[in-house]
Amino acid sequence: MKIAWLYHDFMDLYGDKGNIMVLQKRCEDRGIPCQVDKIGIGDETDLCDYDLIFLGGGADKEQLQLIPDLMARRENIRKAMDEGTFALLICGGYQLFGEYYIAADGTKIDGLGFHSYYTDTGKAGARCIGNIVIEAQLDGRTTEIMGFENHGGQTCHVTHPLGKVIKGCGNSFDAGFEGYLDDHMLGTYIHGPLLPKNPDVADFVIVKAMQKRNPSFRLEDLKPLDDSVAQLAREQVRRKLGLTE
Amino acid sequence: MKNLSVAAVRLSRWLLSFAGRGGSLPGQIGLKIDPQILSKIRITGPVVVVTGTNGKTSTANLIADLLQEAGYDVVTNRKGDNLREGIATALLSRTSLSGTVKATAAVLETDELNVKYILPALPVTALVVTNFFRDQLDRAREMEQLIESIEGVLEPFQGTLVLNANDPNVMRLADKAPQASVVTFGVARNQESTRVTGEAAEGKFCPRCSRPLVYDWYQYSHIGRFRCEACGFGTPDTIDVNLEDIDLAAGTFAWNGSTFHNPYEGLYSMYNAAAVLALGKLLGIPAPKAEAVFRHAPQPAGRNETFEADGRRIVLNLVKNPTGANEVMKVIERDPALKQIVIVLNDREQDGRDVSWIYDTHFEKFMNPATQAIWCTGTRSGDMGLRMQYGGWTGPLHMVSDLKEAVHEAAAAGDVIYVVATYTALVPARNAILEEVRK
Repeated sequence: MKIAWLYHDFMDLYGDKGNIMVLQKRCEDRGIPCQVDKIGIGDETDLCDYDLIFLGGGADKEQLQLIPDLMARRENIRKAMDEGTFALLICGGYQLFGEYYIAADGTKIDGLGFHSYYTDTGKAGARCIGNIVIEAQLDGRTTEIMGFENHGGQTCHVTHPLGKVIKGCGNSFDAGFEGYLDDHMLGTYIHGPLLPKNPDVADFVIVKAMQKRNPSFRLEDLKPLDDSVAQLAREQVRRKLGLTE
Repeated sequence: MKNLSVAAVRLSRWLLSFAGRGGSLPGQIGLKIDPQILSKIRITGPVVVVTGTNGKTSTANLIADLLQEAGYDVVTNRKGDNLREGIATALLSRTSLSGTVKATAAVLETDELNVKYILPALPVTALVVTNFFRDQLDRAREMEQLIESIEGVLEPFQGTLVLNANDPNVMRLADKAPQASVVTFGVARNQESTRVTGEAAEGKFCPRCSRPLVYDWYQYSHIGRFRCEACGFGTPDTIDVNLEDIDLAAGTFAWNGSTFHNPYEGLYSMYNAAAVLALGKLLGIPAPKAEAVFRHAPQPAGRNETFEADGRRIVLNLVKNPTGANEVMKVIERDPALKQIVIVLNDREQDGRDVSWIYDTHFEKFMNPATQAIWCTGTRSGDMGLRMQYGGWTGPLHMVSDLKEAVHEAAAAGDVIYVVATYTALVPARNAILEEVRK
């Protein structure tokens, strides 16, 4: 498994590196070799060589720095995704794969435009902040995904949301739905980071990435791991939000 | 309204003192009666505002002690809180009904997001800024917006900015304060300085021209000697108060030909001492008075607070954000003793409801053979347990819901126990430790 971690040095606002730690460990615990390459501004690389692209979130000001480099990689990213590379995108990374986003100061910044969703800024600096729980279907399996959201961006016109909001905001205030999911990418505002507490999502992403080289790879091919601590962490979030009886 | 507001604060403060409280409620009442009350009272003598992410409590307390040592009658919010209401409580409860503060100096620890209220309202002599790091993000928003809220009130400021010369996020404030004078403080390169940083770093880009910043060396996180090759922004060549001859083992440093004792442990706390010396220099207070204050500084709760009994040693540390927590990890790593570790992670308002900061903290530093077992407890112990597992910890990991039980088990397992607790867990953790050492 080869992971391209894009702009790791400044798209790492909410401990997003935890997601990489999870992917790496859950592969290695199953004997799947996992290589993570950090790709920064100006690094020459062909993303088609990778099974997974990961892009986290950054502060507005830092995020602006990478736009020209990201745009220059547009065709390469598209080609990689067409060839089966899966993309896991958090917060800012998620926004940048859409049409455009409006920064907190009102500037409009063009995204990669792979999808028709776009991101407006919250009115008067309002932000969606708090614990969030959603219900999602991952390859036909129903699962609760939980974590913490903290975003001013209001993402609209999402054609394939990741899941239905049970507690929290989601793509925008009162959106009812959170994130984006299709065969090529998973985009979400959920950090915390996302993967440690959501082993189902971690394994789903691993399967998607493995399918690049081995299209018949299935979830059943992954050896089950002991996720008892994750279960406790999930229970604590559910209890906090009054979701337990 | 002024008299009424002052009277209301004094009365409510007096009434609340019987209930053992004082904090922010009286100030809240005063501000309700007259929202402009702070700009109407008269203060003579220096007014020092201390802000920044880490070290503002220690720094403000040391400055208050220094001014006292120099003969001032100091009003300070040492016991109150650092929001506008807490500051109003501190000032107004020492204000006469005619509106004069009955003190000859004020030292006010101020929350970063409250500087925008305090600076324009009071005749501030010096604004001391320690550093800016990612703090509790869900409350403080992104650091950038926080700095901008301070920059927004600097244009008319005619006092002195006392700035950390090794923090680009702090030094940028000078650009927005054309009428202010600037005094800088720093710590010279020493055995802990490194060529690269592996810690979550802010300020990768020049705040003036957005080009990447270049560092000659780092002290920790993004604190170090920096410069922008494009526009010249950087750590000044001459720092007004630059600590030298840093000896971390002895806890000493030198400035201006004298040796001083660092009041607290660690390199990061030397910056607090540097800020105190810079403020002393600005007000013309002789350096030996600062050394006297450093020598007698009370150890704050939860900063390497050590409890000893029957040959056992339990050390309690507060962690509240990645940078502060990383310094705690370094202290634990430096102790070669075989040890047990208890981590208490809560997610209440004052802890930060978002626990993702634990992934920006290098808990890996204590994942070595000297650490024998780890206990995780608190309202979000599960997240901490996952952090340990994904950080590569393969030794004994105990998930215990009861804090006392966790401390008790750890104390039964070995002689040296480190307890690391978030803000709301600090007092319960100390109580659990006291119960243990009194057995």
